[in-house]
Amino acid sequence: MTDDQSLRLLLRSALPPMTDLGPARDLWPSIVHRRPVPSGWPWLDLAVVAAVALGLALFPDWLWLLAYHL
Amino acid sequence: MVGEPHEDLLERFVQGDQDALELLFRRFAAEVRGWILRIVRDSGAAEDVLVESFWRAYRGRARFDASRSFGAWMRRIATNASLDHLRAARRLARWSGVDHDASAPASPDPDLRESVAVAFRRLPPKLQIVAALALIEERPHAEIAEALALPIGTVKSRVSRASARLRKELASLGIRP
Repeated sequence: MTDDQSLRLLLRSALPPMTDLGPARDLWPSIVHRRPVPSGWPWLDLAVVAAVALGLALFPDWLWLLAYHL
Repeated sequence: MVGEPHEDLLERFVQGDQDALELLFRRFAAEVRGWILRIVRDSGAAEDVLVESFWRAYRGRARFDASRSFGAWMRRIATNASLDHLRAARRLARWSGVDHDASAPASPDPDLRESVAVAFRRLPPKLQIVAALALIEERPHAEIAEALALPIGTVKSRVSRASARLRKELASLGIRP
């Protein structure tokens, strides 16, 4: 017996070929549930934009500070 | 192998019809799942990879040529998704320390089956996939080459490298096949 054959036998004795008994459940609902969510503005981004807009409305001088940091 | 679906169904799938996707899923799921199971060797993981594969197919439907074999295209996507799963599992095992360190000394009384499994899991994913399909499942090189989108010569070379690497890993665990 060649080295390759003995390696193959050892491998197959430890890790036998897989027997497929089929899925335990219907997997179509899992596909449907992965339907992508339409992308939009995340809430955190909206909150930051709103906070900056409010801050600038109340304290217009902050615009220069903001411009300096951008 | 499942027969090829009618071209109308494939055209509807390419246009994004989800009913067509469901029909194709119901027709090909068992075959594709069986292929994935041979690679990932875990029933739960095979189901996750199956779902991922069909989603990848749906997202990439515009690239599918309806005059070509849907089964072969799906198998290629499933093979890539399985490869990604093996890579992720390998990263997780390294991060969590579940996998055995290659430099760790072999157990004095190793359980042969477990040691062979450990050596197998230590293979890089692209070698593990060809070892699983060629050495364990004994699939023809041509079939593996088509699923991996590689020339047959490359598959043969990878099988040879996987065998050499397995021998080395087994030797480090005190096993000589």
